[in-house]
Amino acid sequence: MATSHHTSLKVSEVHKSFGSETRSVEVLRGVSFEMTQGQQLALTGPSGSGKSTLLHLIGTLDTPSVGTIEINGENPSEFPEPRLARFRNQVIGFVFQDHHLLPQYSVLENVLIPTLAFKRRDAEIEVRARALLEGVGLSHRLSHRPAALSGGECQRVAVARALINRPSLLLCDEPTGNLDRSTADTVASLLFELHQAEQNILIVVTHNLELAARFERRFELVNGRVEGQAGQV
Amino acid sequence: MGNLRTLLRLAWRDAWRRPLQSLFFVIGVSIGVAMIIAIDLANSSANRAFTISTDAVVGKATHQIVGGPNGVDESVYVQIRRELGYRDSAPIVEGYVRVKTLNGQPMRLLGVDSFAERPFREELGTAKIAGLNQRSFSAFMAEPNTVLIGANVSDEYRLPIGESLEIQVGSYHHKLRIVDVIASENRRIRRSLKDLLVTDIATAQEIFAKIGKLDRIDLILPDAPLHTTALEHIESMLPPGARIESSDARHGAVIEMTKAFRLNLTALSLLALVVGMFLIYNTVSFSVIQRRAVIGRLRAIGMARGEIFAMILAQATVLGIAGALLGIGLGIFLSRSAIGMVTTSINDLFFVSNVREIDVSALTLLKGGLLGIAAAMTGALIPAYEATRVSPVGTLQRSTIETRTRGSLHRISIAGVAALLLGAGTLLPDWHLGLTFLGVLAVLVGMALLTPSLMRGFAALAATHWLRRKIPILGNMAVRDIDRTLSRTSTAVAALMIAVSVIVGVSVMVGSFRMTVERWLTDLLGADIFVSPPAVANSQMTEKLDPDAVKLFETFPGIARVATARSVEIDSKDIGRITLSAITRDIAGEKRHYKSAVGNHAETWDAFRSGGLIVNEPLANRYKRSLGDTITLLTDRGEVPFTIVGVVYDFDVRPGAMMYDAVYRNYWDDPHLSSAALFVQPGVDVDEKIGSLKSVFGGNLELVIRSNRALRADALAVFDRTFSIFIALQMLAAVVAFIGVLSALMSLQLERTREIGTLRSLGITRGQLARLTLLETGLMGVIAGLIAMPTGLVLAAILIYIINLRSFGWTLQMQLQPSQFTLAFVVALVSALLAGIYPAWRMGQMQPAEALRTE
Repeated sequence: MATSHHTSLKVSEVHKSFGSETRSVEVLRGVSFEMTQGQQLALTGPSGSGKSTLLHLIGTLDTPSVGTIEINGENPSEFPEPRLARFRNQVIGFVFQDHHLLPQYSVLENVLIPTLAFKRRDAEIEVRARALLEGVGLSHRLSHRPAALSGGECQRVAVARALINRPSLLLCDEPTGNLDRSTADTVASLLFELHQAEQNILIVVTHNLELAARFERRFELVNGRVEGQAGQV
Repeated sequence: MGNLRTLLRLAWRDAWRRPLQSLFFVIGVSIGVAMIIAIDLANSSANRAFTISTDAVVGKATHQIVGGPNGVDESVYVQIRRELGYRDSAPIVEGYVRVKTLNGQPMRLLGVDSFAERPFREELGTAKIAGLNQRSFSAFMAEPNTVLIGANVSDEYRLPIGESLEIQVGSYHHKLRIVDVIASENRRIRRSLKDLLVTDIATAQEIFAKIGKLDRIDLILPDAPLHTTALEHIESMLPPGARIESSDARHGAVIEMTKAFRLNLTALSLLALVVGMFLIYNTVSFSVIQRRAVIGRLRAIGMARGEIFAMILAQATVLGIAGALLGIGLGIFLSRSAIGMVTTSINDLFFVSNVREIDVSALTLLKGGLLGIAAAMTGALIPAYEATRVSPVGTLQRSTIETRTRGSLHRISIAGVAALLLGAGTLLPDWHLGLTFLGVLAVLVGMALLTPSLMRGFAALAATHWLRRKIPILGNMAVRDIDRTLSRTSTAVAALMIAVSVIVGVSVMVGSFRMTVERWLTDLLGADIFVSPPAVANSQMTEKLDPDAVKLFETFPGIARVATARSVEIDSKDIGRITLSAITRDIAGEKRHYKSAVGNHAETWDAFRSGGLIVNEPLANRYKRSLGDTITLLTDRGEVPFTIVGVVYDFDVRPGAMMYDAVYRNYWDDPHLSSAALFVQPGVDVDEKIGSLKSVFGGNLELVIRSNRALRADALAVFDRTFSIFIALQMLAAVVAFIGVLSALMSLQLERTREIGTLRSLGITRGQLARLTLLETGLMGVIAGLIAMPTGLVLAAILIYIINLRSFGWTLQMQLQPSQFTLAFVVALVSALLAGIYPAWRMGQMQPAEALRTE
């Protein structure tokens, strides 16, 4: 799906609790913010502050206990499962800390996996996958399995995979957390480049303050609340 | 001690953390143990019931003098007692009767001479007959048709002294008046009394139509050195046709008859445990993979490899013990059904046996329990070894194991081929039957070891030629997933393959057997109507047919000719006891199929009429006799060698032979007949004729009058009953295999939780994941079914051409029916698909975020 001119994200008073009613732990306690197309945001904060949980909620992998998250004016948590899966597949791209590539597939196949879900696999898609892999510098590794790649290379494949369906939202959970400094810089630069090219909304969860400093907007989550904001609103 | 406690605690906690997997492990072991115990208890209870009953009536007799079909003449007893002075001797007339008053149950009727009983069966109470109250004693001695019954029977059926029992022997009915009851403090004796009626010897002679004859003379001979002298002394005065033998040897031979049958049952009962070991391997292997980080930490804090190994084995042992205990309870419960099936088969095939109680032997329970624990520990050995290879930083990865498995594939396959060769080497020579079953196990293990390679081959073929065209995306993913987790998927497929191949093997064998028997019966039963007296059991065809009835058949309107047979048990010096049928004509006629014969049908029949013996295949195969060999039979004229002139196909479990009626009468003083076969005149309606015959005999003489169609149906009903227990055992093994596949799939699904989370985050729907899982399990089922077909065929060939031949001496023709293979394939596919439903459902229920968080 091409990036829409009306891409927007609106997070309103989102709360999230885990556990039973009697022994519940509130991880997010009323988070609100908005973003529009082409914006970028870094979410920082100590471990357990709720960063990844917020990212999962935005990415429709989980639902808020209270509050709403609207993407492009729609509330995906109200969608039935197949529509939600299609929405996730075509609107959201994920990059995880430890890449989550499927070991049984080659680099090219891993990038193509998101296109398999809704029968969009055609020659054009494969051309795009090759182009993305060329863009992340891995055109010589197309047929290799993840086990044969370095950590940085795996993460670059994960970035290409996240972008294959031209998502409106690119969500990255500690994308450089497992990488050495030099590789982390390369992957971060790649993310910015691709974000610039695709003009999507980019949200990155990170502990790396140097990386966070490169973002236009930054939130710090502390105890499930937005404690500080920096950058352009 | 402290270490052991720690190990056990760690093992127990891990088992508790994965309750479903642990439950599958326990169920696998328990079904295996239950089958072993149920069959062992059924076998041993049947044996024990026979032994208790026999011991009670043999009493303290060390030897017995026995004769031909009509027994020993009374004069021999008189001679031994009076002329030779052996006072420790007692005459016996005995047989089985059906007691109408006691719901038609078969009981042994023992006719004794109360004055001679004292040294023999004191515990049985017969020695106390003289001590009965004067009135009872007088009645027992003086009145015909009086009987003593066990006090327990009297209580159970409310039959006080003075009541009458109606008994049936062949076509004849008798009424016996109860003159006293026998009570005993001894439990064994009380049990034997449940199946025993005691009468005066004269009454027994009358009931069994053995006037002036004895079935045996019991003796208590002195110990050495006088023993040999006494034996020689007695032997020297025995008339031709009588001989002396030890009591133990005689009854041991009866038990020996059922040995092959019991061994076949025992072998099949072990199957579930063998299949269960694959399940155990998978469960423990999964546990090791899941705990690799914990194991690494334990190694880091100083736990030695040996202790890790012991910890994994301890876990398997703890679960094995739980499974064994559950299996023992289940086995005792199942043995109640098994004993019924085993007893029915023994009565149908071998001898009359009335098993009322299950003898729960501690040894059987211990043996079954230990086998279960040993299987659990054996199944855990390889995963336990894998656990010792976890480094202190917990670096043993699933992929490492899989890479290692793929790297070892050629070695595993070579081991598979070696196991197949070992199996062939054990099966081909005619060694002990137990070794033959080990050969079968080697073949199954060999095929299981070849499964991973075959599986990769099939999966690759499926991916290349079919899945890629039909369902390219999911198909490709499924094949890769199966291949990626080969160490686990191949174990599940191997377990399913073994269970399905046993289904194929046993059903092909049973189907071939049934068809062979059906054709054989069609050819054999050439007459139109068959008449015999009612028998106590299907194995007892030696009852006497009323001679007047036979005369009437010969002149009955519409009957063209009559063939008669006399069936008797005869002792042979070199073979033991055989079933001899003296026949007046071959009812199969030209359709009789000889396995080997001295000439064509007419020539063989001529040789037969001239005194030759036609033996059945079980006798020829088991005792290695062929044309021209002789068999020495104990006749009333002494030991006479008879030459074998033909070997016929036969599906009796007992060694048997046919002799021309006139030859038989020449050597044995036996005027009786056992059955008659009637040929109706052309155009006569058989069913109508049976109706007329029944109306003539109805009320006067009880006879079983059947058309050849009905007789064939009855014979096939016996066949089906006999195999019902084998079918039940193979089904239970299939259940264990199903649990194995379910357990393996669940393990795989749990291992793949994060992968599932990733796929869901990429937009793969629940439905697609479910289809993927079902495609994977379906593919596994298809592969298991495909490998099971040739394996099952090999197994069927082994069962037909080796096991049956060596166990019972039967030659069967293999008959393949497409339905048997289709059914087995469907069983494999459906089992695998069913096993995939729950994991597929669970995958769909999982929140992607939750799945991604899982470690």
